[in-house]
Amino acid sequence: MRIRRADERSERRLEELREQAWRAGRVEAPGVRPSGAPFPKATAETGYYGLPLLKPPTWTWEVPLYFFAGGAAGAASVIAAVSRRRDPGLSRDARFLSAVGAAVSPLLLVSDLGRPARFLNMLRVFKPQSPMSVGAWTLVFFSSASTAAALADLAEERGVAPRLARVLGPPAGLAAAASGLVMATYTGVLVGATAIPVWSESVPLLPVHFAASGLATAGALLELAGNRSRALNRVGLAAAAVETGIGAALEASRRPALEPAKKGWSGRVVRAGGLLSGPLPLALRLLFPRSKRARRFAAASSVIGSLLTRAGWVAAGRVSAKDPRVPLKLPTEID
Amino acid sequence: MSVTGFFTDSTLCIGCKACEVACKEWNQIPDDGFLWSGLSYDNTIELSASTWRHVQFLERSLPVAGARRRESAAWEFHSDVCKHCENAGCLEACPTGSIVRTEFGGVYIQPDVCNGCGYCVVSCPFGVPDRNPSDGRVFKCTFCYDRQRGGLEPACAKACPTGSIAFGPLETLHDRALRRLEELGEQGIRDASIYDASEGSVGGIHAFSLVRGDPRAYNLPPAPEIPTVHLKTAWRSAAAGALFLLAACAAAFAGTRR
Amino acid sequence: MPGLGTSFGRGGATTAQQDLANSDAILIMGSSMAEAHPVGFQWVVEARERGATVIHADPRFSRTSAMADLWVPLRAGSDIVFLGAMINYVLDNGREFRDYVVPYTNAATILRDDLKDTEDLDGLFSGWDPEKKAYSPETWDYRGSPSKKGKAAGHHEATGGHSKDRGGEADELSVFERDPTLEHPRCVFQVLRRHFSRYTPEMVEKLCGVPREKFLEVAEKFTAASGPEKTAAICYAVGWTQHSVGVQIIRTASILQLLLGNIGRPGGGILALRGHASIQGSTDIPTLYDILPGYLPMPTFGEDSKSLAAFIQKHRSRTGWWANFDKYLVSLLKAYYDDAATPDNEFGFSWLPRTAGDHSHLGYWLDMADGKLEGLFVFGQNPAVGAPNAGFERKAMAKLQWLVVREMVETETAAFWREIDVPPEEIDTEVFLFPAAGHAEKNGTFTNTQRLLQWREKAVDPPGDARSETWFIYHLGRRLKERAARERRPRNAGLNALWWDYRTEGRHQEPDVEQILQEINGWTVADRELVSGFADLKADGSTACGCWIYSGVFPELGNNRANGREPAGPYGHGWGFAWPADRRILYNRASARPDGRPWSERKKLVWWDAEKEEWTGHDTPDFAKKKRPGYKPKKKAEGDDALSGTDPFLMHPDGVGWIWVPSGLKDGPLPTHYEPLESPVENALYPRQQSNPAADRKERPGNAYGSAVDDGRFPHVLTTYRLTEHHTAGGMSRPLSHLAELAPELFCEISPELAREIRIRHGDWVTISTARASVEARALVTERIRPLDLAGRRVEQVALPYHFGPIGLVTGDVVNDLVAISEEPNVRIMEAKAMTCRVERSGGTARSDGGGA
Repeated sequence: MRIRRADERSERRLEELREQAWRAGRVEAPGVRPSGAPFPKATAETGYYGLPLLKPPTWTWEVPLYFFAGGAAGAASVIAAVSRRRDPGLSRDARFLSAVGAAVSPLLLVSDLGRPARFLNMLRVFKPQSPMSVGAWTLVFFSSASTAAALADLAEERGVAPRLARVLGPPAGLAAAASGLVMATYTGVLVGATAIPVWSESVPLLPVHFAASGLATAGALLELAGNRSRALNRVGLAAAAVETGIGAALEASRRPALEPAKKGWSGRVVRAGGLLSGPLPLALRLLFPRSKRARRFAAASSVIGSLLTRAGWVAAGRVSAKDPRVPLKLPTEID
Repeated sequence: MSVTGFFTDSTLCIGCKACEVACKEWNQIPDDGFLWSGLSYDNTIELSASTWRHVQFLERSLPVAGARRRESAAWEFHSDVCKHCENAGCLEACPTGSIVRTEFGGVYIQPDVCNGCGYCVVSCPFGVPDRNPSDGRVFKCTFCYDRQRGGLEPACAKACPTGSIAFGPLETLHDRALRRLEELGEQGIRDASIYDASEGSVGGIHAFSLVRGDPRAYNLPPAPEIPTVHLKTAWRSAAAGALFLLAACAAAFAGTRR
Repeated sequence: MPGLGTSFGRGGATTAQQDLANSDAILIMGSSMAEAHPVGFQWVVEARERGATVIHADPRFSRTSAMADLWVPLRAGSDIVFLGAMINYVLDNGREFRDYVVPYTNAATILRDDLKDTEDLDGLFSGWDPEKKAYSPETWDYRGSPSKKGKAAGHHEATGGHSKDRGGEADELSVFERDPTLEHPRCVFQVLRRHFSRYTPEMVEKLCGVPREKFLEVAEKFTAASGPEKTAAICYAVGWTQHSVGVQIIRTASILQLLLGNIGRPGGGILALRGHASIQGSTDIPTLYDILPGYLPMPTFGEDSKSLAAFIQKHRSRTGWWANFDKYLVSLLKAYYDDAATPDNEFGFSWLPRTAGDHSHLGYWLDMADGKLEGLFVFGQNPAVGAPNAGFERKAMAKLQWLVVREMVETETAAFWREIDVPPEEIDTEVFLFPAAGHAEKNGTFTNTQRLLQWREKAVDPPGDARSETWFIYHLGRRLKERAARERRPRNAGLNALWWDYRTEGRHQEPDVEQILQEINGWTVADRELVSGFADLKADGSTACGCWIYSGVFPELGNNRANGREPAGPYGHGWGFAWPADRRILYNRASARPDGRPWSERKKLVWWDAEKEEWTGHDTPDFAKKKRPGYKPKKKAEGDDALSGTDPFLMHPDGVGWIWVPSGLKDGPLPTHYEPLESPVENALYPRQQSNPAADRKERPGNAYGSAVDDGRFPHVLTTYRLTEHHTAGGMSRPLSHLAELAPELFCEISPELAREIRIRHGDWVTISTARASVEARALVTERIRPLDLAGRRVEQVALPYHFGPIGLVTGDVVNDLVAISEEPNVRIMEAKAMTCRVERSGGTARSDGGGA
């Protein structure tokens, strides 16, 4: 806990004023905010000694990684379902991708818990008003469905219980896709419906943002795995376009609560992620639709961008929690 | 069983911190560390997993001579605590059902259920619940649920020597607070207000305070919201996102031929 | 304690904390009551809520000032100027409560013609011997009072002051003349007026740094809250006692309260806020060297102590309650020696130890430093941190042969040998550290600041080898007696005669503390029947009583009144037992007019019931229950019978409150302002007497002083204080995490002006130095401490809490290293509340900011 010092800037300014007054006998210049003093103050202008009002998120690296993996997995199962007839190979790949994501996700979440051994307590109740409860159940459902769908494909390929596979496969796939839609979007709700200002004030954006991000990642990973379907390019294009739009909306907003998503180190990460998720892949895919390399670059960019975006938003949340001026509705510092 | 509450009247507080110590002693909470903050006499700094009552100290510039009665007060003390919201963000957010409303109206984290997911931590507009990094679970004021069940008043209220922390049926406390405000007005104190977050989605707090001056100086937010107010917009956006996802895929694969 | 004792008759708070709720004004000075007595302070808050004016006069704006209506910043050490000016204000403006003052005080008493006041002798009274540095108080007597032979009681060099708490063992002060019109030029009232005539609002401004308007506001509000319909109270603590003029500061307040008619009245009085939970008890049944239980004096090697009869003759007064002195002394001796004490051996009077010199804490500690002390027991005290010039005291301990410490933790005192610069190989002291039981682990009583005995029941057994004090003393005594029985020498006579057959219980043979309390209450020797109170005690050896002022606490078997927990009535009778005789407000006869009716309906407390022919009311009357208001004593009457029905201060031989103290205080019959032993300014009132002439500086190597006035090396005034968060010398708070974390570092409160001057920022490390030592602390820059304007001269004040030491969860420098060992003349207390210092940024880099987070 750092010792709170005097308000350095206002103290220096006061000294300057004193010097000037001593020399010139009068001073015509802006002064200082009255809340400055030779010792820390708690006032309506500073809040309680400028100490944070909110608590920062306790989540560590597992959680943004989960957003990334779970979102991609969810989107992948949608791709798998939509492309089932047109491109069975792609569909199968997408199912596997989805299953991998579905396997990794619970591990990440359980690891982040303060008491991992008690992870099953997530299933004690179902609370629709808690996005995390919705998410926990969705994850259970999705993981089962997605794994079952992938296993069904695998079984069919290997000739293991083919009829069972053929019977269970399609409903599993549909279930995975349906719950996958929730997987890809609910995390935006989870993050947005909180008290953290940078998140709660982005609540109309975040679920769409996460959906687009998940879709971009799923498509990109499939592309990077070798799938050259033009549909994937279109999917990537659409996602990048949405990401660009969201980025633009974020930049255009003047609301002080959103600063951590734009300024400082967290803002840099969000912006970098935004660039790599939005304008860059958009440009590459639009301008070089036939270039394999361009597509690979775009895909890689989207994947990295998606990862950075999730990390950035969580980091922005941490920064936002530490700033008491937003929840206290304080004016920003004079410059 | 009536709904009980705390009415913390900071004009009676002498900053003795008996409430902090009584709470820690009763609940066997560990210390926060031994670092001097330099923030007046407040070395506790904030509510946290290991501090459930926090006395705030605000020094104000002394006025010039000739001040009327009580305007020479230049040091305010206020014992902050979990607000036990009528509509509690932490309670709604908790996915394990660990956080419940007790029969006394308080918001209580069941320590045998909590798995430390931390979602309540970001769902409180007052920044109260806090995870203990070595324990893993989240902790906050229990409203002395165990003491209340035994027919006792919470430890902090019992220890408070001046009655600054008043405990009792919520209705009675509300009346008392209003009367106190009038009393203070008669004594010439007109800058006091009741902070009870009653206008807004939080719907009122069971642990409410009377403070002098702007509540923001105490880090009490002027318009706290329960984060569930965002759910509608959020799920709408999620639906839009899902729709987009589906539509984009459908459109993308529409013209495909393998 | 002698301040109150000489003024009113008993050395104890005259009122209870609860009674403050009845005050119309409360002056808190020399105390930060909200911080040091937070639970009692609730009644100050209640008084304020009921409309009382609360005034806090203190160098720093503390948590008490935050709750007050008026904060009066004043210079530490200038209290007598402030209070004296209030007296002057009362007299100048005719605000004294005449109808009270004339009958109930000695304002009308005529003094001798050969008395000279400080106005005549530039700051001295008549009778000063500059060689002996002591007063002979004969000229202070009432005119016409015959003197007793020999040394005036209370003025013996060896004794400290607590025997003066009895206020007037002295002389034949029952013979005197009075002028009820208060006009006679030699009457106390006129001498008082002259004595304080130069204590003006301007002088207050000059010496206290209080603007005259502010002073007048205080004076006006306080006096307006006194009279028949209103009462005002004064609360003080060690901020008044720990001065070289401590007793006289309290005397000034006592005079003020007598003039305003506030003593003995509800919401009035003087509340002495004692320094910890049972210090009152430790002067009642004393751990002080110069008194015996119940404020009886300890014999010396003088003429008066050669025989019991001479001793009684000396210390008994013919009139007033102390006519019973012999009954209490003999009963005490019977309690000590039981059957071994007989009329033939003067009830064992010769077995009592005698004081031969200054055996006060500071006295014997200096002897210790000179190698004259072999061993020391330290129980529940931490002088290595809590004593003045603590560094000197720590070093002195290395001269002991053995040290026994009983404590719950290893304090700095027990570990002194680690904390001093002497290599352990060069220290010959053998240190024994015994684990002590905590307060919930033993039976016993506390006697709190309002004279209230409260029994505590043991809740659990102490852990391991930890034992209670009673266990230790009892078994130590038992072993010493066994040895003394084998070695029958004259010097062991007392031990051999000592009755020590206390019952024990349990597997550790814990003494039965209730039995001890019964002995304190007293019983008739023949049948061990408990007495109902001190009125039952006799001088013929048929009764025994361990402490006469507590008598009545256990009037019959099964009735431990200290354990009473059913309060009834406005003064809580039925909860605990207040000495004497469960009177909660002392001198409450004064709450009624001379004719017995209350002064007013609003302020009725005790009054005469003409039908039942007895005193009645809300409190136990502090008066003979059946004595009519109109009672006039017969010529040769003795004891209480010699006092009239309008004499509320029945401990005094003349039955009145003493504005003028004819005998008993070593530094004067009236308070006089002297500067602290180290001061930035001259004594503007008496330039020829800078500081208290009777105070003892004990100047020697290791106990050096800055110049008495304006030492350029030490330009600021330094005072020490307490935090709520810690407890005295820190032994019971620094090891406890829940307390230690509340105030984890030593800090120094300085004003923003001083901070700017010495170029330090809030949070920097600063070094505070006096002529004794230096300590380092964090700078807490705050507007709550202010430079004072002493008639154009700016003086900074600096304040430090004294709780820290090198051991514990939180540590810090020992602030008492800065304080000098000095002795106030009456009680030999040090001056810890006003001295001079300098403050500067600590050398080298400032230490770290306290770690990351």
